[in-house]
Amino acid sequence: MKRLLSSVRDGSGFDIVLVALPLGFLFLMAGLPLLYNILMSFQEVDMFSLGTFLRPFVGFKNYTDLFAQPETWPILGNTAIFVIGSIAGQFLIGFGLALFFWVNFPGASWLRGLFLVSWVMPGLVVGAIWNWILSGDFGVLNFMLRETGIISGNIFWRSDPNYSLYAVIMANIWLGTAFNMILLSVGLASIPGDLYEAAELDGANAWQRFWTITLPMMRSTIGAIVSLGLIFTLQQFDLFAAITSGGPNNSSNVTQYWAWDLSFRQYDFAKGATISVIMIVFVMFASVVYVRSTRHEVRG
Amino acid sequence: MTKQIELSGVNKYYGAFHALKNIDLSIDKGSFVALVGPSGCGKSTLLRSLAGLESISTGDLKIAGELMNNVPPRKRDIAMVFQSYALYPHMTVEQNLTYSLRIRGVAKAEARKAAEEVAATTGLSQLLGRYPRELSGGQRQRVAMSRAIIRHPKAFLFDEPLSNLDAALRVHMRKEIRTLHDRLGATSVYVTHDQIEAMTMADHVVVMKDGVIEQQGAPLELYDKPANKFVAGFIGSPAMNFVPAVVGEDGRSLAVDVGEKQTIVLDRQLQPGRKVTAGLRPEHLHFVEPGQGVFRLPVGIVESTGSATYITTSTVAEVTIVETSRRPVRTGDVIDVSIRPADVHVFDGETGLRV
Repeated sequence: MKRLLSSVRDGSGFDIVLVALPLGFLFLMAGLPLLYNILMSFQEVDMFSLGTFLRPFVGFKNYTDLFAQPETWPILGNTAIFVIGSIAGQFLIGFGLALFFWVNFPGASWLRGLFLVSWVMPGLVVGAIWNWILSGDFGVLNFMLRETGIISGNIFWRSDPNYSLYAVIMANIWLGTAFNMILLSVGLASIPGDLYEAAELDGANAWQRFWTITLPMMRSTIGAIVSLGLIFTLQQFDLFAAITSGGPNNSSNVTQYWAWDLSFRQYDFAKGATISVIMIVFVMFASVVYVRSTRHEVRG
Repeated sequence: MTKQIELSGVNKYYGAFHALKNIDLSIDKGSFVALVGPSGCGKSTLLRSLAGLESISTGDLKIAGELMNNVPPRKRDIAMVFQSYALYPHMTVEQNLTYSLRIRGVAKAEARKAAEEVAATTGLSQLLGRYPRELSGGQRQRVAMSRAIIRHPKAFLFDEPLSNLDAALRVHMRKEIRTLHDRLGATSVYVTHDQIEAMTMADHVVVMKDGVIEQQGAPLELYDKPANKFVAGFIGSPAMNFVPAVVGEDGRSLAVDVGEKQTIVLDRQLQPGRKVTAGLRPEHLHFVEPGQGVFRLPVGIVESTGSATYITTSTVAEVTIVETSRRPVRTGDVIDVSIRPADVHVFDGETGLRV
């Protein structure tokens, strides 16, 4: 007993305690719900069996049922468009801004800080702001497009099935650009300046320096930011709740919103869990890419 | 001799700070020039101005006869070896070497051949496939030099290239760089704060301080006839001893003040009574039998390196003596020291200029 105590105080026992505490926390707070979610996707769940743990096992029935539903593939397609559109927009605008502020004109660093305003705002607030901007009758966006002659009649961004998904994508790009910009700025700042001087003396012009020095040196940052973007956009829920509620007629519905809708509005918990499991696969993939790209940093 | 680099009346300002003051310097084709001075003296600014990484405020800068004031670095055809080496971390050694060729659109096979040729002369043949992070400091240094050599530039610029290496490797690379310079028939400008590097490597040494060229010339010329106190103290190791002195009434002797007044004989005529500073190199002071010396000095600190003994006196104006004989000396001894009249440097007491 005494030896055990002293080992815990100063020895390998102490190390085990240090490892066990966070592992235990992770298992309780993340591992168990995750496993429970996976378990539910293989069970028949209804309002009466909610409180129990062992419910009738149905195998892959929930999965086959899900893919038999007519709205499943369109919603998966919407999710893909939402993810790709959001990441592309956030990354390209964010990279552009990061390069712009990299010029380091007077006031560049605090102006860059101001851009974070969009990122610190709650998604529901951002959604409310964009509801105003996107409003069909009196929205600023329609006003500008009309006045510049790009459109002739008002677009009902939130209620037109052709535009509803893009309305959310726009808001999401606005929300996530600043975060992209900050991470990319950090990446740019960590490239040693003398590499550019060496390249310049080696005869490279600005464009060649960007392609041969900046981009390759940013590879790990870009890998990290794209995989983080995938994780964040698959988590984006507030904007859908605030702007379109997935409608009209699922035209702007995506998996993460649909899973919530099935579970907590239609009380079809098994299907909700099934969608979540499918999403977990994608997020896990993104996490692996993220971890790999932060580990393979090319530095000096 | 054709001039490869010519600077006339070059000034550089950073806002109100005057970094380079009226620099006139011409560098012969094929020569090895060292810019040396304490940190902040402007030597790196001067080098970066040659490369075009800094622009000069006024004056003319010519490379191979062409005015380069407003030519961007990539069009100057000059190669530089950075203190940090500035190797491209995401490229292999071969890609590092061929970068400038690939930028110019040289065919792949040709670039590869050039890389192999250069690698063979710098001993990198086995390392072409490695990344810079997998190389030792000395190997990185070689890659940086090879990257410069492969281009056959109009001039090589070195910005303290050896300061990140350990002492033994530094001495070795010193010779290697100089050998390479001779073999290539290159024109090199070499910045260092280490006067030994400058003295051993260069044909022509430029000593700078506070943005001004204090003196330039062949290494031994600087050692034998320093133009002022600063150059005298900077060139030579250990540094020259400076002792306040007054010219004697005969004009051919100095009354030096090392704790007590002592007289040394001069080999030239000076104005009697003039206040001067006597400059005595530690290696020019020699032990002599008691009573035969010019100086009698109390010994303060004795440091022995084996090959030489460094003796610092306990007088007010400290005097250092380098003695290669193994004569035993201990702290507290009083020793007799002499110096040849020709080895006595005299500087004006106020301006510090050579008399």
